[in-house]
Amino acid sequence: MSIPPLFLLHAPDGFLSTPIAAVMWLVTVLALAVAVRRADANLDEKAVPLMGVMAAFVFAAQMFNFQVAGGTSGHLMGGVLVAVLLGPWAGTLVMACVIAVQALVFQDGGLVVMGANIFNMGVVGTFGGYLLYRVLATVLGGEKRARLPAAAIAAWLSVVIAAVLVSFQLALSDTTSLRVALPAMVGVHALIGIGEAVITVAALSFIAATRGDLLHIARPALAGQGSQQ
Amino acid sequence: MSTLSLDRYLARESAIHAADARLKFIATAGFILALSLLPVGAFAALALAWAAVVIASAAARVGWLRTTTGAFFALPFLLAAAPLVFTRQADPLGEVDLRLFTLTVSGEGLKMFATIALKSWVSVQAALLLSFTTPFHELVDALRRLRLPSLMVAIISFMYRYIAVLAEESSRMMRARAARSASRDGHTGGSVIWRAKVVGSMVGSLFLRAYERSERVYAAMQSRGFSGEIRHMGGRKLRSGEWLALGTVAAGLSGFSVAARLWFPTA
Repeated sequence: MSIPPLFLLHAPDGFLSTPIAAVMWLVTVLALAVAVRRADANLDEKAVPLMGVMAAFVFAAQMFNFQVAGGTSGHLMGGVLVAVLLGPWAGTLVMACVIAVQALVFQDGGLVVMGANIFNMGVVGTFGGYLLYRVLATVLGGEKRARLPAAAIAAWLSVVIAAVLVSFQLALSDTTSLRVALPAMVGVHALIGIGEAVITVAALSFIAATRGDLLHIARPALAGQGSQQ
Repeated sequence: MSTLSLDRYLARESAIHAADARLKFIATAGFILALSLLPVGAFAALALAWAAVVIASAAARVGWLRTTTGAFFALPFLLAAAPLVFTRQADPLGEVDLRLFTLTVSGEGLKMFATIALKSWVSVQAALLLSFTTPFHELVDALRRLRLPSLMVAIISFMYRYIAVLAEESSRMMRARAARSASRDGHTGGSVIWRAKVVGSMVGSLFLRAYERSERVYAAMQSRGFSGEIRHMGGRKLRSGEWLALGTVAAGLSGFSVAARLWFPTA
């Protein structure tokens, strides 16, 4: 079985001009190189299987679909969720691997344009989403109290911003007209983003209710302090 | 029941199957890059490229129909390029009356749209051929040998091992949800937000199962002597014949790109 295309964010090959694709690859490779260094520097050995299984988790979690309207269905992107659970560096790497495997195995997203796809969803959608989450949590009164509203807004924005980026990349590639594509993409993804926000919040509150310790442990496990279990 | 396998590999005996995964990966990426470089309206070059994929699929004995039809599902993205047909001004072909306003179909826009659609279609076929002829573990090993950071190689290898398990877990959860959610045809219970919340709880539950599984995996690895480093078989260097093949492919693709710009007819 194949996974339905993740909204219109997994661009296939042919849709971005070569210069745009090349620039996006360059930025993505740099960002991932930093993420690998930062994650490598404070990994404990337990983190390697954890990150691998988490990549499989994101992939499997994207299979949960729910009916929206008229036969279309929505599902999770998961960038902010993973970053909140695993931390931004590990989250970014996990998302990048998920996007790469989706392209290599299921042709869900292209190879030459993969740099752009990883940038939009893995770098901006995950790392950027996490930064937003932290800023919002601080502004709204601390991560403990404001975790859910901050995650909701960050999750919504991560999808909308990814859609804005895709629109600009397409327009700069002469593949679409920004005047038409930007409002359409942002409009559709503003709705899809609500689903992302609700799923992210429900997942976090489920985890907080059943294994609240994991909201704190998953990150130390990746930060070299070992798990307290 | 649905089991999801990362392997779309079709076991056949062919030279393409036997070739080193590094060669296949580089050739596929290069081929798609060459397609990406084609100018608007390079339909002759696209036809030639498609013929090459068809011949390669036949040589790999996977059947060209399989790659050709397998590539259609990537097309929904074409919606994103559809505005081109109406927003370009050059070479108006006709008008579509939508009562509120009229849209002018532009020949130039149509040509750009067709180029994008065909590029994407042929590219997907090439990528499909790669996954039909290369077992996933060989592909991951090729990426490792092509200097993908070892942390990412490790993540992808673990992902490959556990994806079927977790996908199975998530389809069991969806089946359980379906079993609890009787509804009349064409009706769905609850509001959209409520349904999304249900999915959120399922995601949370799946996370816990995955997390606990990763702990068991780690314990199993530790008991087998895992010390934090994943060791790989040495692997061999490319042979001179393979370097020659790589050079031929590179020369062929460069020649194709240049010819497509200079000599091939464009519409």
